[in-house]
Amino acid sequence: MPALDTPAMSLDIQTSSLGAGEVAGADLAGLPDFTTDLYKDAYSRINAIVIEGEQEAHDNYMSLGTLLPDEAEELARLARMELKHMKGFQACARNLSVTADMPFAKTFFLPLHGNFQAALAEGKVVTCLLIQALLIEAFAISAYHIYIPVADPFARKITEGVVRDEYTHLNYGQEWLKANLEASRAELEQANRDNLPLVRRMLEQVAGDAAVIGMEKESLIEDFLIAYQEALTEIGFSTREIARMAAAALIG
Amino acid sequence: MFGLIGHSSSFEEARRKAGALGYEEFAAGDLDVWCSAPPQLLETVSVTSLTGKTIEGVYIDSCFVPEMLSRFKTATRKVQNAMELAQKSGIAITALGGFTSIIFENFDLSKFQQIRSTTLEWERFTTGNTHTAWVICRQVETNAPLLGIDLSSAKVAVVGATGDIGSGVCRWLSQRTGVGELLLVARQRQRLLDLQSELGCGRILPLEDALAEANVVVWVASLPQTLTIDRERLQKPCLMIDGGYPKNLDAKAAGDGVHVLKGGVVEFFTDIDWQMMEVAEMANPKRQMFACFAEAMLLEFEGWHTNFSWGRNNITVESMERIGSASLRHGFQPLGLEPAVPQPLAAAVA
Repeated sequence: MPALDTPAMSLDIQTSSLGAGEVAGADLAGLPDFTTDLYKDAYSRINAIVIEGEQEAHDNYMSLGTLLPDEAEELARLARMELKHMKGFQACARNLSVTADMPFAKTFFLPLHGNFQAALAEGKVVTCLLIQALLIEAFAISAYHIYIPVADPFARKITEGVVRDEYTHLNYGQEWLKANLEASRAELEQANRDNLPLVRRMLEQVAGDAAVIGMEKESLIEDFLIAYQEALTEIGFSTREIARMAAAALIG
Repeated sequence: MFGLIGHSSSFEEARRKAGALGYEEFAAGDLDVWCSAPPQLLETVSVTSLTGKTIEGVYIDSCFVPEMLSRFKTATRKVQNAMELAQKSGIAITALGGFTSIIFENFDLSKFQQIRSTTLEWERFTTGNTHTAWVICRQVETNAPLLGIDLSSAKVAVVGATGDIGSGVCRWLSQRTGVGELLLVARQRQRLLDLQSELGCGRILPLEDALAEANVVVWVASLPQTLTIDRERLQKPCLMIDGGYPKNLDAKAAGDGVHVLKGGVVEFFTDIDWQMMEVAEMANPKRQMFACFAEAMLLEFEGWHTNFSWGRNNITVESMERIGSASLRHGFQPLGLEPAVPQPLAAAVA
């Protein structure tokens, strides 16, 4: 059987010609060529999604603060971190001389954004937390973990810092939901049914671009589910309940 | 707490078991769904030894199925993610069952210790190969005489002799059992020569020639689907221990004086209240299990929280003896041949 050379071993990896900025001079063996039009084109959308996702997260935490006034200060702190992340990822695009395709990203987030706004308008804090603190954070964590081994050195450093923060955000949501599980259970299950299929569709929508970057859909889904399942376990769901809930991302 | 990482023997079997265990959504999923499915901690169990000591354990299904073997990145991810789940669940010692340890070894996964935010601690895992090797040797020693085979003059072929389990079996059979002659079969000649030199005995033979001469055949290599065995050329009686994974020797060789025994399988002295061995298709799933799984239990019973079996060619006769003693002490027995149906009765039934 073939030996595994690197966990990032992927589609069209090759020893790159040197790119711009901090990419130059780095050991790029086994990484994608960050300078090709194909890579930059895919990166313009993936990077935009990340930037928009961080902006969305900022806005969502600020909104959650209106539903949970006692927690508003902590939520504002989380929101500020998301803005910092956003700026980091904007720098990643500049470093590769890529212009992020923000209109694409806005459309990409629209369904989830709409569901969050609807829940916010109804004062459904549980649904809001599930969308932002569980789904979006688990999505981000898994994507960042898979991106890190195939990222350019500049983006790699930034993303490694970000992923550590995102765990604390996921933790915030899971702790709140854990403390309020019995009152939240039915709404959580419904919110899961309504929103997890959206995450799957979002993943499918960017699978082609992600593959060019060196991230495979199969591992993105599995890693997302691992992070999501961990959060649900921590909140207090049983393994079978979790498997049933997670299946909405696999089959829905 | 001990852990067992296992998987189903085929995709169809996995779907069927998922349905039976109440995971209908997984049962309905296609292979792509299973390729993206995260590992599942399926069951927790409490086991009491013959000594009276009780331990707790969990079964983790990696959601790997053998159909994924051609997708090496998928297979790798399944193993690594299941190991991460075991460690994050706080399990002290976990056995890598079925293809899990084979994938780990063949893809050299010891090079990849970092899984997301988790640094895998190898001392929490065991391949269980030492116990498997001991069980297979005891199966040879106990069952060959039942068929009228005198081991002191018998030729014993070990197919897959240079593997981790195979080399351990060869050491035991040559140093402890004292078989008539050891026939060494494996693909890589240099490794065979190294083993022969280490053992100080054993004759290297191609598979077909070894099968024609052997009174006992220990299979510790996976059988290619295409392999056919010419029953006519086999010795009669012949004891075949099917110690490979998956266990598919029975259909290829059994019958007419050729007795096939599931190798590396143990039976516990009492029922265990679990469903997990149904996934592994054991004949008596409340008591029978792979010896590699039992090794994790033994390490937990004994408080030996260490990767007792790890790497390749590290199995010594002493380590086999140590785990074997623990095995008997806690109530495990190597699986034996079914009582033979007397010939006249068999004819009457037919």
